[in-house]
Amino acid sequence: MIVLTVLVAAVYAAVLIPFKAIPIVPGITELRIAQVLPPVASLLFGPAAAWGIAIGNLIGDLFGTFGPGSAFGFLGNFFLGAMPYMLWGRLGPLSAHQEPAMANRRQVLEFIIVTAVSGIACAFAIAWGLELLGLFPFTVLGLLIAMNNVILPGAVGWIVLRLLYRRVKRWGLIWTELMEPEEVGNQPTASVAAWLCAVATLAGWALCLALSVGAGGKFGDAGLQAGTGGAMNVVLAGAPFLAAILLSFVLGSPRTDLGQQGGERAA
Amino acid sequence: MDVYLYVEGNSPLHRLDPRPKMLLVVGLIFLAVAAEHPLVPGALLGLVLAAAQVAGAWPALRRVRTILLTIGGFSTVAWALLARGTTPLLGPVTVESLLYGLGTGLKLVATIAGSVVFLATTKNEELAAGLIRLGLPYPVAFAFSTALRLVPTFVGTGATIIQAQKSRGLDVESGHLLERMRKHIPLVVPIFAGAIRSANRLAMALESKGFGARPRRTYYLELRMGPGDWAAVAVAALMFLGFLLIRLTGWGEIPGLHR
Repeated sequence: MIVLTVLVAAVYAAVLIPFKAIPIVPGITELRIAQVLPPVASLLFGPAAAWGIAIGNLIGDLFGTFGPGSAFGFLGNFFLGAMPYMLWGRLGPLSAHQEPAMANRRQVLEFIIVTAVSGIACAFAIAWGLELLGLFPFTVLGLLIAMNNVILPGAVGWIVLRLLYRRVKRWGLIWTELMEPEEVGNQPTASVAAWLCAVATLAGWALCLALSVGAGGKFGDAGLQAGTGGAMNVVLAGAPFLAAILLSFVLGSPRTDLGQQGGERAA
Repeated sequence: MDVYLYVEGNSPLHRLDPRPKMLLVVGLIFLAVAAEHPLVPGALLGLVLAAAQVAGAWPALRRVRTILLTIGGFSTVAWALLARGTTPLLGPVTVESLLYGLGTGLKLVATIAGSVVFLATTKNEELAAGLIRLGLPYPVAFAFSTALRLVPTFVGTGATIIQAQKSRGLDVESGHLLERMRKHIPLVVPIFAGAIRSANRLAMALESKGFGARPRRTYYLELRMGPGDWAAVAVAALMFLGFLLIRLTGWGEIPGLHR
């Protein structure tokens, strides 16, 4: 697992860095072709991808955009790498209940759903954090990061996964095969946790977005002015939903340690 | 391809223990975001540039100057237009919104420039050792430092793959933004597949060296705090104190700025 974490982090950072020159919100986010990797890596490597994506993003920040938002970038990118494998197969009728080989439409649909939820969770965490610090309005970042995380990865990520899945499986590196069955986390609470995670993500993001643009009141005034940063209503409204996402990780117990004890293979 | 920002040198900043340097960067970030007025981040940027002069870190700052200028310019303009104030200046821009824009731009530039000076004076191994000594679990610190080392390899691999595809006729530079993005996607697959292929080799190398065999391990690089390091810790503590003071007293707010 540790090696896969290293490789995912290094590849993610290596694809992020050259595109730093094309910023969307300078200093905060840029055009990210690398966003195709998190859902793909997550479904291939599970917990290794969660840490790898978070570390890779931090390394990418160190090459020119490390700043106040980097801590929230770490958390958001951890969500981005952890949620797809945590949600896969646990969303009841929305799930294909098959391995993510992208062999049929149901699998592709589930891929798009988990990519969208994880991408929005990442946007939610980063935009909430920067609103807390008073640097950027939730309205701008909440939307831009979500679009960056969802559109391109949702549209083409499944093709990349389809090209890689069989090969990686042949190499014996799929996370569910590397870990012991009890470590994969198929406990009864996992499905509840997955739904809690998805609902808290979508509801929290939508509520903060609505508050940020001044829903229920003066659109222009309360909106972009609240968005000059530190809008307390957005920060307070978002906090319980972020707490619920973190709680879902505890309930679902997706394994997130890097696992070097118990004789587990370093890969 | 050298993507690192480290600049060889023996300045006081180079000799400083990485732990107080990290605390200084965190302190800088806290202090920079404390006030709305551009005075505080402006002063901090001055300090960062002075530190860059002392450390000879200008080559690293020159490498990111485009990013820094874009960030400063964008933030100033965006917030000058988006924020609202009471004293009209030009069109939708008010004196208060311009001050706020300048402040936000300077906050981002000061913190990013500070982190660049930190990276220009801190080797990767010092960074990893510092993180471990600050309590980061060894596997995480190992993953971080090894990935940091591998980044130039994969950036180089990516460049090679792009050159190889170009020589076969792939045109990744023409077309609009989305089209160029789409053309880059197929290049991600060989980079990723190539990296994964090396996983087993790297795993074997780690296992043969007894990675994780014992819970406690020793390190080649031993960090020791000297008087200068403690002085830097004190400066970082003062920065945190300054942050609290500014936040609690409300000093540095821009009167008339609508939030």
